[in-house]
Order: sequence, then C-alpha cells, then structure tokens
Amino acid sequence: MLDLLHNLALGFGVALSPMNMFLCLIGAMVGTLIGVLPGVGPLATIAMLLPITFGLPPVGALIMLAGIYYGAQYGGSTTSILINIPGEASSVITTLDGHQMARQGRAGPALAIAAIGSFFAGCVSTVLVAALGGPLTSIALLFGPAEYFSLMTLGLCFAVVLARGSILKALAMVMLGLLLSMVGSDIETGQSRMAFDIPELSDGIGFVVVAMGVFGFAEIMRNLEQTGTRDVINAKLSGLMPTWPDLKASAGAIGRGTVLGAILGILPGGGAVIAAFAAYTFEKKVSKDPSRFGHGAIEGVAAPESANNAAAQTSFIPLLTLGIPPNAVMALMVGAMTIHGIVPGPQVMTKQPELFWGMVASMWLGNLMLIIINLPMVGMWVKLLQVPYRFLFPAILIFCSIGVYSINNAPFDCVITAVFGLVGYWLVKHDFEPAPMLLGFVLGPLMEENLRRAMLIARGDPTTFVTRPISGVLIGLAVVLLIAAALPMIAKKREEVFVEE
Amino acid sequence: MSENVGGVPEPQSRGSFVRAPREFYGGLALVCVAVFALWASRDLPGMRGFAFGPGTAPRMFALVLAALGIAVAATGVLTKGPGIDRFYIRGPLFITLSVVLFAWLVRPLGLVIASFLSILAAAGATPEARLIETLVWGAVLTAFCVLLFPYALNLPMQIWPNSWDLAAILKGLSSIR
Repeated sequence: MLDLLHNLALGFGVALSPMNMFLCLIGAMVGTLIGVLPGVGPLATIAMLLPITFGLPPVGALIMLAGIYYGAQYGGSTTSILINIPGEASSVITTLDGHQMARQGRAGPALAIAAIGSFFAGCVSTVLVAALGGPLTSIALLFGPAEYFSLMTLGLCFAVVLARGSILKALAMVMLGLLLSMVGSDIETGQSRMAFDIPELSDGIGFVVVAMGVFGFAEIMRNLEQTGTRDVINAKLSGLMPTWPDLKASAGAIGRGTVLGAILGILPGGGAVIAAFAAYTFEKKVSKDPSRFGHGAIEGVAAPESANNAAAQTSFIPLLTLGIPPNAVMALMVGAMTIHGIVPGPQVMTKQPELFWGMVASMWLGNLMLIIINLPMVGMWVKLLQVPYRFLFPAILIFCSIGVYSINNAPFDCVITAVFGLVGYWLVKHDFEPAPMLLGFVLGPLMEENLRRAMLIARGDPTTFVTRPISGVLIGLAVVLLIAAALPMIAKKREEVFVEE
Repeated sequence: MSENVGGVPEPQSRGSFVRAPREFYGGLALVCVAVFALWASRDLPGMRGFAFGPGTAPRMFALVLAALGIAVAATGVLTKGPGIDRFYIRGPLFITLSVVLFAWLVRPLGLVIASFLSILAAAGATPEARLIETLVWGAVLTAFCVLLFPYALNLPMQIWPNSWDLAAILKGLSSIR
C-alpha cells in the first residue's frame, strides 16, 4: 500500500511538471479536436498526431499521447451523441440512447454525463492500474516464450470473437495481418523477406502506413460515397448540466459500468468495445423498466461511456507490463513507444519507473483535462461538426500524407499508404474487418520470435504449448473462446443487441 | 475449418454456384494473396532441424491464410449473402492520385507546391467541390501545414525547391523516391 502511494507520488511528481501538464492539456485538446471529426476515430487521430510527439523527450511524448488518446476517445463519443456517427467501435453503443437524448433536446446532459462518467471511471481505474501493475509484472516474469505465444494467440482470438460478422473472415484477417508483418528482414538471420529489393520495405511495412491507409484513407473513400446526408442536430443545446434525477439515475450505472469496464479492459483483446457493449446489456438487465432503453435513457449513455473509459485505462496494464497490445489503438501506442526507443514490457517498470508511473499519473491527468476542456466547449464541438465534408477531407488527407512522409522522410511510404487505402476500401466492400488484421500485423513479429524460441527450447516439440501449465491454460481459453463464438446462437445474440433500438 | 475444404467442388459456372459473392470473391482474393506470398518466399530457407528458418513462418501463415481463404470462399457457395456493394471510382481514384502526387512532388518541388496540388487533386474526389472555394481552401491549408509541420513541429522538410533550375527539378521528378 505504501509502495503504491510512493509510486503514485513519483508518477504525479513527473506528470505534474508544468511542461508535462501542458503537453497533456494540448494532447487532450488536439485529440478531442480531431477525434470529434466524423470518420476520424482514435486510431486515425493517434496515427495522425504521432508526428507531433517526435521531437519530444520520451516521457513527455507518452504523456502527450495519453492526452491525445483520451481526447480522441471522448471526441468519438461526442459525435455519437450529436450526429449519430460513432467515432469508433467502442462508442457505437452510445449512439443508441445518446443520440435519442440529443433528438429530445437533451444533448447537454448526455454529453455532460458522458464526461462525468468517464472521469469517475478514469479515477477508479488509475488507482487500479497503479495497484495491479506491480503484481502483473511479477507474473510477466514467469512467462517464457511459449507462454507469450499462447497469450498472444488468446489476444488474437479475442479480436476475432469481438469482430462483427463472420468469425471465419475475422480469422482470415488476422492471418493476413500476420503474413503482412513478415515482410522485411528476418529477425535472426537478417535475410530480406518478400521485400522485392524495395528499400522502403527492407525494414518491414510501417504500422502507421497500414493503419492510416486501411482506416483513414479507406474511411474517407467510403464517406465520399454519400453526399450531404449528415444528420446534424440544429436544435439548441439547452441546459448543459444534468438535473438531479439524471445524476441519481446514472450514479449506479456509472459504478457498474466502471467495474465491468475495468475488468474487461485487462483481458488481452477485450478492450473498450466489449466493455461498452457488456455494460449496456447489463444495465438493461438490471433496469426496472428496460423498455426505456433506446429511447433516451440516461443510464444507456452513462454505463457504456464509463465502461469504455475504464477499459481504455486498464488496457494499459497488459501493454505496459506484458508488452502485449490488447487492441488496435494500443497497438499503435506500442508503435509510438518503439519510435521513441521504448520497448513496452516488464522492463519499462523496473528500468524506467518515472516513465511508467508518470504515464499512470498522466492517465488521471488526461481525464481531468478532458472534463475541463469539454464541459464548457460542447457548443464549439457542434459548430465544428457543421464544417462541410468537402472542406474536411482534403485537410485530413494532406495531414495524413505529410504525417506518413515525415516518419522516415520517405515519399514512397505515402505510395504504400495509398495502396493500403485501396486495400482497406476493398476489404470493407467485402465485409472484412480491418481491426483484426491490424492486431495480427502488430503481433506478428513478436509471435514469430516467441514461437521460434519456444520451439527451439522444446527441441522442436509443438506439444510444449499445451504441456506447460500457464501456456496450456491460455491455449485452452483461446480454444473455448473460439468454439463458444462459433456456436451460431451466440453470434445471433451478439447481433440482437446491435439491432434492438 | 480446412478439413471440409476438399469436399466442396470448384464451381463450374460461377454465376449459378456463387450465392454470397462477397464471401466467394473475398475468399478467392485471399487465396491469391497467399499463393503470391508462397511464391515470394520460395527462396527463403526453411527448417533446419528444430530451428525455424527465415521462410518457415511466412510459409506457415500463407498456408493457413490459403486454407481460410478457401473456407471463406466455400461459405460463399454454401450460404446465401448480399451481393457486392457498388465500387465507386471517383473517390478512391482522386484520393489515391492526391497522395501519390504529394509523394512524387514533395522532394523535388517542396512542401508548398506539393501540398497545394495534392489538395486540388483531392477536391476532385467529390462533385460538391467548387473551383474558387477549393483554390482558397487549398492555399489556407497549405499555409497552415507549412506553419505547423516544418516550423511549429520542427520536422525537417523542404519547403521550396532546392533550386529553380529546370533540369535539376526534372531530374528529381524522374523518381518517386
């Protein structure tokens, strides 16, 4: 306990330096600003804003990234509520009741309760991350190559199960991602693999290149298909603050959402999406009058918003302690960290404690900044949404181009990004979800490395993954998960909640 | 999943067999990617004793991808599904053009010209764009980018061409790197 306080004190000592607070504030502000743009989710936002952090020292860069992350997350919720366009998967649920509230002229309370719920969830889960980071790190030390491989397999299975639509297709996407990650140099021999003597490919395909192409560019191509049908609410935002009955109704929902979110966030691959979804379903189950849901119930905003923020926070645990990104956004954070020369994993905590605890503290700070920025600025965000798309997308596009170019000063990277944009467009047209692909792409090199080591240690015996206890349990979980998801009944259930309105 | 693959006959006349074209053609495309990867990694050494060679993992992933692709294509034959959504040409074409143009011009001509022309090309992606409006917005955005990236963020970037010598510029334009 004393350790915890000591560590938090160290963290706040780092995070509360005026420079870092300023970076966090700017990050949260810019993150919200970009994240509130329709069609630009947290993933694209972080990818786009990554270059801003290049010139900063690692601690400052990560703190700024944390700010950007929460900002982008909240920005996504704002568009869900105001114009029924979720900025990202985890705020899809928020559209159900949030947008209904907005239509009834109660956008103010909806936005406010989302911010308040997120802040509460953020406070709780910051403490949780600080408390669990240590123990989980010691568990991480028990992990050998076989365990790491199995854990990553489990993470990928989560990504498959949580993807919308066909499980088979999601599996295929994971495999495509793994295959793409093989391009570049072999980790052991340095031999060039599938790079076709293109120098820009000799180091592998960049993560930002894939993410920006498949998400950012493909999204723009899709948005351009519909012209001028964005449903912006012109009604005045009357009464920003929720009333007393509103607060009373949402208090329980926020609490339950936080708990559910915090737990699900820790699971590799679980992340914010399933948390928001589970919290909404749960809230509907315990409600006295479930029929109100889908017609502007404030609990239907409070619960998923708290849950996705709590999950977003606790998903830093697997990232910072095990070095395993639980979802695509976290995968991008790993990319960002490696750019700054930080390899996420147990070592981060012991070798760079000020970095680790500074980041934990900055999570709370990021949440605080969010509530400070957003409560008074709701009106402004709405204005921003009224910018016509024909002005918006060239801006997004040129920022992306310059961003990709600036990473390696390599113009050819832009061309590869454009190709991935077309690939992403094609994938969407064939109902393939790009998120599992991205996760596979990030985990690919790590999986290969651990697979190779594990096989070498076991002298070529593949049963090592099942016979080592921790690894066996993880593989078992993965198998159970896939089987459970493959049962069509569950797939049907999953869809039901999305359809029900 | 891969075991039931052998039992599914390749359709003779596609039109009548394909009941879910998104799955069917999507799966086939994945198989093609996998086959291409197998071809591209054909020279890489494989297993040496217990040790993986550089080619082992790529081939492994490619084979599994091929199997999954076949399975996805098979569901396209066995189950009914929606037809393929319309592909729009204009948006993707101009978006790609805009990005490639930027990549091509940024080295020889510098950020200002590359950004401005890239934004103009992007505007072609939508019929809603107006000429004057686009020119003004392009200028504003370009100015913003120049102030933001090379100045505010201090990223090393060419802002104007190195020299206005035509021969040197043309030489730079001959390659996209």
